[in-house]
Amino acid sequence: MTDRDLHVGRVLRASTRGFALGCAVMQPDIPAFGSFVRADGQSSGEAIYGLIYDVSVEDDPFVRQFIGANPSDEVVRDQRENRQVPIEVRVLAVGCGAEETIRHCLPAQPPVTLDWLFLCSNEEIRTFTERFDYFRLVLEAREVPADELLAASLRVAAAARPRSERESFLVEAGRELVRLLAGEPTRLEGLLRRLRA
Amino acid sequence: MTLELSQLTQSVHSMGQAMAERQRAHADLVDLARHWLAEFAGQGRMLQHPARAVQAAIPTNEPLDAVHPLPPTPERFTVAAADGSQIQPDRHGAALYYLINIGSLVYRHGSGEAPEARSESTLGYTEDDLYEDGIPVSGNLLDIRRDLGELRRLADACRSEPSEPTVALVDGSIVLWVLRDRPTGARSRKVAAYLDQLDRIRRSGAAVGGFISRPGYSEVTHLLYLASLNGDTKKAREQPNPMEHLSDRAIFTTLPPGARTALFISPKEINQEDYAQQSHLVHFFYLNVVKEGQKPVIARVELPAWVAEDADRLNLIHGAIVAQARITGDYPYALARADELAYISSQERAALEDMMTTELIRAGVQPAPSPKATYKRLTRRGF
Repeated sequence: MTDRDLHVGRVLRASTRGFALGCAVMQPDIPAFGSFVRADGQSSGEAIYGLIYDVSVEDDPFVRQFIGANPSDEVVRDQRENRQVPIEVRVLAVGCGAEETIRHCLPAQPPVTLDWLFLCSNEEIRTFTERFDYFRLVLEAREVPADELLAASLRVAAAARPRSERESFLVEAGRELVRLLAGEPTRLEGLLRRLRA
Repeated sequence: MTLELSQLTQSVHSMGQAMAERQRAHADLVDLARHWLAEFAGQGRMLQHPARAVQAAIPTNEPLDAVHPLPPTPERFTVAAADGSQIQPDRHGAALYYLINIGSLVYRHGSGEAPEARSESTLGYTEDDLYEDGIPVSGNLLDIRRDLGELRRLADACRSEPSEPTVALVDGSIVLWVLRDRPTGARSRKVAAYLDQLDRIRRSGAAVGGFISRPGYSEVTHLLYLASLNGDTKKAREQPNPMEHLSDRAIFTTLPPGARTALFISPKEINQEDYAQQSHLVHFFYLNVVKEGQKPVIARVELPAWVAEDADRLNLIHGAIVAQARITGDYPYALARADELAYISSQERAALEDMMTTELIRAGVQPAPSPKATYKRLTRRGF
């Protein structure tokens, strides 16, 4: 399986600012907070890029019965792998376009219900984060833990690069943050601290 | 809201009083039934014939008050459970069809593996599907098709299981309920098809049983009443039976955790005839499924003669059901999951009907719900 084939889930609800999707099961590497994801746009060759900012497991009365009951491995695996445990993943839209011409802006149209959402490959993440224009979209998003999300996405983007390029990438990102948050020194300090963590 | 609750206040109050009174009378009857159970425990053999004649539980050769503790279960064993649900044909709907959805779970105890979960749907829409001997397939006829689908799925699961001891569990009775208004030949064919699946399970080496939660049968209490009349079937038919509404479950709440009662034979006519002829004579016992220290939960388990008379299979099904029930607390886990896998939600039904409407229009057929269906949808929207 290539990274390009890695499905995160299907779109449940969508708007141009972001979308929610449902997953059957939580897998070790997907979905994760701060991950870059991609949905196919409505025009051919177009993609919508986003960052996962929330993963929630909905309440389930059947599962509740097993809390504290020391369930067997069979039950745990049945609940996790077979049942339609409602896991909802929320995504903030941060870009759109074809791979060569990615724009850091909100998409003109959201993805459609039941569209697949894929995890971006390292190559896609590197291409997307060649520029830092999406920082403003994240920092200004009200419904998301913006600073945590931006720091997590930068750690993901750094990890998608060769080891020798990671530090210089984070230093460049830090410079951009200094420029954007010049009027908010406390916030800036917190964000830079998170990047170093 | 159309229900005038204020009009019901007095009735609900009277109902509460009547229930309390009934419970007091019920407690006295339970004491009497337990007394009879001990008193006539050794008369099973003598009661076999009269019990058959008055449709009371038929005793086997063991004492009526026998109690069998929970047997040990093998380290590894498999429980396959199936359940079904259906959408009945609706002549007011946009198209005439039925749907049967069979859910099943194969749970391999001690394996650490994820159980195998399945849902299999059958859509009936042709003339052959929708009519049987000129009678529309709905109600009892559709129930029989669903019951057969459940058992077929279990037989398939048992056949494909590796060599571990295996138990197939049905939700409810394994005595097929076929309305008497069917022609005799058609009735026999249905029962034969069901018994064929029981045969397949027998040949696979597995055990099979029907699990009945909160059973309402009064067959053992009827037997005790008959015993109190010294097996006099004439008196039993003519005199009012004080135990008529007392369930068997009520007298067996003294069973220790995990223990089962003696075996009895189901007195149903279909069992005495069709099932008996094919060596599937259905036996049953009552079982307290909970753990030590918990309020008893009594279930009824039905099993064919070839399971009841084979000590290994009998102990396996006894132990396996308790093991399954204790996963959730009081109900077999695999059956709960099979029910979940079979359930058709109103949203799923609406999605299916949308799919059908689209397909009908594409095929040049104008789907038309009846005026009644249309107005029901309009007036009930949002409630």
